[in-house]
Amino acid sequence: MTTTQNPGIEDASRTRAVPRRSVGQTLLSSGTVLALVVLVVFFFAMRPDVFLTFTNVRNILYQVAILAIIAGAQSLVMVVGDFDLSVAATSALAGAVAASLMLGGMPVVLAILIALAVGLLIGIANGLLVAYLNLSAFVATLATLTSVTGLAYLVTEGTTLFNLPPEFNALGQGRFLEIPLPVFFAIAILLILWFVLKYTTLGRRWYATGGNVEVSRLSGVNVRRARLLAFAFAGLVSAVGGILLAARLGSASAVQGEDNLLFSVAAVFLGMTVIRSGAANIVGTVVGVAIIGVMSNGLNILGVNAYVQQVVTGLIIIAAVTLSSFKSRER
Amino acid sequence: MRIRIKAIAAAAAVAALALTGCSTGGAGGGGDDDTFKVIAFTSGNQTPVGAWWVKAVQEKADELGWDLTMIQGDFDFQKMNPAVESAIGQGADAIFNGYTDYASISSIITAAKDANIPMFAMDAGTEATDGFALNITADQQGIVDQTVDEIDTTLGGLEGKNIMVIGHDPHPGIRLRAGLAAEAFEAAGANIAGGSIQKVTSPATGRTEALALVTDYLQANPGGLDAVWVGWDDAALGAAQALNEAGSDAVVTGVDATSEAIAAIESGGTFLATVEQPWPSILDTVIEAMVAYQESGTMPSSNFDAVATTLVDKANASTITPSDKL
Repeated sequence: MTTTQNPGIEDASRTRAVPRRSVGQTLLSSGTVLALVVLVVFFFAMRPDVFLTFTNVRNILYQVAILAIIAGAQSLVMVVGDFDLSVAATSALAGAVAASLMLGGMPVVLAILIALAVGLLIGIANGLLVAYLNLSAFVATLATLTSVTGLAYLVTEGTTLFNLPPEFNALGQGRFLEIPLPVFFAIAILLILWFVLKYTTLGRRWYATGGNVEVSRLSGVNVRRARLLAFAFAGLVSAVGGILLAARLGSASAVQGEDNLLFSVAAVFLGMTVIRSGAANIVGTVVGVAIIGVMSNGLNILGVNAYVQQVVTGLIIIAAVTLSSFKSRER
Repeated sequence: MRIRIKAIAAAAAVAALALTGCSTGGAGGGGDDDTFKVIAFTSGNQTPVGAWWVKAVQEKADELGWDLTMIQGDFDFQKMNPAVESAIGQGADAIFNGYTDYASISSIITAAKDANIPMFAMDAGTEATDGFALNITADQQGIVDQTVDEIDTTLGGLEGKNIMVIGHDPHPGIRLRAGLAAEAFEAAGANIAGGSIQKVTSPATGRTEALALVTDYLQANPGGLDAVWVGWDDAALGAAQALNEAGSDAVVTGVDATSEAIAAIESGGTFLATVEQPWPSILDTVIEAMVAYQESGTMPSSNFDAVATTLVDKANASTITPSDKL
């Protein structure tokens, strides 16, 4: 009996199986995660009585909860290989819309739903511009950022809206088991995003699109729809962040949370260095957000001047990414 | 043939419209050379007070029959400065600067001087400068005296007390008053929390920055604050929220008399006081000076004035018109 080998098909018997790495192994092999660990150890060593106490860890989580949500939105868009510069502006507008409607007497739930719809619409607009009109994501979302901020100024009439209903403020200021509610919201949203990206067909299509648009298109992925959906979800998630920020502060202004834009991009880029493929990913984004939160809190606790903090933050981001690139060269 | 007729008809329509435009334009501007031409500009139109100023100046100009060109800068000096200089190049009788620090507009000041057009201003710098025929601002030392005294009275003295001072350097008024406040507290024997003025890096995120600063400071120094002096209300509200969440009984003062600050003061508790700056009366004074110049070419006797402010606390909060509701 003869066996024939078809030369066109790869002989799988000679391929060594690559062992699947656990989440823990992945994290520990990443320079970025090591950078986070180093930061935590450093601040703990400087102030062991303060830094890792329950209240301080809770403060850090509280301070980064909204950023984590916005960074989650940014991650979706960066997975498909685009950028969204309008995430922070969308969040501010959503918060402003919700606040304005509630102050006008609308029930809280309805106001929140409308604000979420506003975020979704902005995301869809971004998606249409990028995926169907083929504008560069940078230019399109820069334009929507400008217009959306203008809309937010119109909605707030240039002032800060306040006196929001206590049941709304409770979403941002309430606690469950001594932990602020925004932390739970952030965890829930990030879990959902992680699940969608990792275990659903949509998530796989997004990664495929981000990996190689042409190959994905030829493989039957509706690339345009994938990109549109990524932007749409990003707009919706940003709106959630903005509504929670308005609840957290009990007020809404046109430029609230403006710094979340650059920090979200930084967090996602930091997160991209966590996994081998270098693609945007939720676990990595969480690490990136943690680095930003730990740095800000730690430097405040050490009483470091705000200007020096900004310089140091940039340097630490560079160091984390560089450390990570050294480790990947070792492999 | 049909296309030609259409073309002629279109050209005739355009010509008719153009002529109509010319005649209405001519009746208004072209015929009257005595109209007082004013260029007004502000970089701060996106703030409530800046937006109020734009509307108020437009109303005054209409009342007085001025030919007004209003330029709104959106804090973008790269956009605003050339626009103002170009307007100056087209000629004007006077310039009115609202809330735009002279340090950011030296090219405009030069253009105005070269064109011999006097610039009148309000809240455009904290000291006299020859770039302005007149600049009226609020008295920063007065603001500091009022707020520091209020904290002093509430705490029963400042000696040995821990006071955080929060400022924002890019704003000259806030920078000056934060510096004066820190000096006043130190002179009275208080300790400045953190050793120096805490700086907010961006006015847009002032509230959340102040919230984080105070929260983290209290985390590192439990019970370590007796008061927080903040250079403006928005950030003061963030500081107040942090103190409330931490269960601290420290007090906070701000500046600006926004409606939210006034509401917080009226409800009692952490937010102690703010300061009302009398923008409407300052505007009236500057307009009077401009009218005097218009009528007789008289220039103001002094080119700088710093006017008194009003401390807003629980006793008088209900009588104050908030600065975002002018």
